[in-house]
Amino acid sequence: MSQDLHALRSKLFDHIIEARRDQAVELLTIQGTARSYSHAVHEILEPVLVEIGERWANDRLSLAQGYVAGKVAEDILVKMAQASPHSEKSRKGPVVIGNIEDDYHALGRKMVVIFLAAAGWEVVDLGNDVLPAQFVDKAEEVSARVIGVSAMMLTTAENIRFVRQELDRRGLSGHVQLAVGGAVINLRPELVSSLGGDGTCKNAIQAPDLFDTLWARSLAFEGKTA
Amino acid sequence: MNSRERVFLTVQGDPVDRRAFSLILSLYGAKLTNCPLSEYYASPEKYLAGQRAVLELADPDILFAPFALPLEARAFGCTLKHFDTAPPNVIRPACKGLSDLAALHAPNVTDDSGLRYLVEATRLLVREFGGDKPVAALLTAPMDLPAPLVSMGDWIEALLFDAGKREELFSLASDHFVALATAFFEVGASFVVIPAMFTNPQFLNPKLVGEYVIPALARAFSRVPGPIVFHHGGNPLVPHLGLVRDLPNVLGFALDHRDSFAQTRAAVGEGPVLLGNLSGPHLPGFSPAEAYVRTRNIMLTLACDPRSIFCTSSADIPWSTPLETIKAVVAAVLDAGKEGA
Repeated sequence: MSQDLHALRSKLFDHIIEARRDQAVELLTIQGTARSYSHAVHEILEPVLVEIGERWANDRLSLAQGYVAGKVAEDILVKMAQASPHSEKSRKGPVVIGNIEDDYHALGRKMVVIFLAAAGWEVVDLGNDVLPAQFVDKAEEVSARVIGVSAMMLTTAENIRFVRQELDRRGLSGHVQLAVGGAVINLRPELVSSLGGDGTCKNAIQAPDLFDTLWARSLAFEGKTA
Repeated sequence: MNSRERVFLTVQGDPVDRRAFSLILSLYGAKLTNCPLSEYYASPEKYLAGQRAVLELADPDILFAPFALPLEARAFGCTLKHFDTAPPNVIRPACKGLSDLAALHAPNVTDDSGLRYLVEATRLLVREFGGDKPVAALLTAPMDLPAPLVSMGDWIEALLFDAGKREELFSLASDHFVALATAFFEVGASFVVIPAMFTNPQFLNPKLVGEYVIPALARAFSRVPGPIVFHHGGNPLVPHLGLVRDLPNVLGFALDHRDSFAQTRAAVGEGPVLLGNLSGPHLPGFSPAEAYVRTRNIMLTLACDPRSIFCTSSADIPWSTPLETIKAVVAAVLDAGKEGA
């Protein structure tokens, strides 16, 4: 890695954790304009997001710092789309996500959408208070291999098990993987298996890795490879 | 020695007959009395009946007024949803975002039905049990209240990027906070408990917590006419105790189940009372035997700290917790008392 690239990543990291959103976006925009947005995103932003995600997962960064990272990613994606509106690059997905029935805590889900989109995923976001059958209906409709369900509280997280039951009932388990996340899942990781989840991650930045893993697992279940 | 004497001697660091204890059984009172939650969180008399049942079940040394913080948000215009087995929660903010703050108005404690319920339930608890037991009231920290009012994302946006809106929201929330806390003390609450999220570096950049949130919170706390217990708010407290330990009027700290009593004590000194730290939300997953052992282990760690009180940490004990598990926790506390732990 060149010294310049290392310095740029370091500067971007500092901008994000100090909540200097404008300066972070400016740094990436200069690089995007001078070289390419693909370079700015994949060579500079993504490694920084990985570092932030790891620190956040280990409680060394705050939700607000993760939020700033999300906003920077969102801003630069818009600029990237404006710069090359017809670029399809290697789109992944689609995947379906939403907050489970009775859950209205949207921030985590919205951040997951941003980071998945930044990683090239096509995301169908069903919003808040989504019934278990609606998740599975939509996954079938768009041929999604991953459903991501968010819940903040234990009471609402209990409804996730009905997504699993619906997948089982339709013979889709294995074909469609169930990602679960949210504050209560972080507090009580044992809920992942008891609610029927196939995987989780501790924060939104780590969602793309989780969805990569689950997508590959779905393909493997059908004897296919990515 | 009754519960009131036991708790107040603990606050002073004086000897007591056994360790004071409590469990957050605000919600559970409804289960014990088969009371629909839409009625339980609207009728002070039904809440009182629920807490009578809690006394029958556990006889804790401290009673809690309703743990229903979203009622405060509703008073500002938020929409709530009621659940069959959990306290109500906010499903829609009070305004359309940071550009719509003019739509927000601070409610009057005596005019809003939800706030009147919180204060009246506290008054009834004090009237019936206050001679024997301290009554603790809970309310939303002023830096946390804006989150449901404008949405969590918009509040973070204001905290990070819009000092004017940040100040406007904090001022509104602070005035409400002081008014409601004052009302609780006027009806006899012994202390108020303030769960706090946005003082925690897991939520907010430590620099912003230190430079803005703590000074603003100190101004609000200094206007409260009674003692405050600073509650961990769902995340460990120890890593940021240095930021909050000198806040005014703080009588003690409620610890997260992942916190260490010894580390907390080392950080805050001998004065403050420490409460905790058996996780309430985890209780449904424990067998009675496991809950008993965990409680005994915590009691052992408290043995050498005279200013500590055993309590459940985090939120209310969930509805699904078996009665036997709660009884096991109480038995463990009392057994430890008999053995002098």
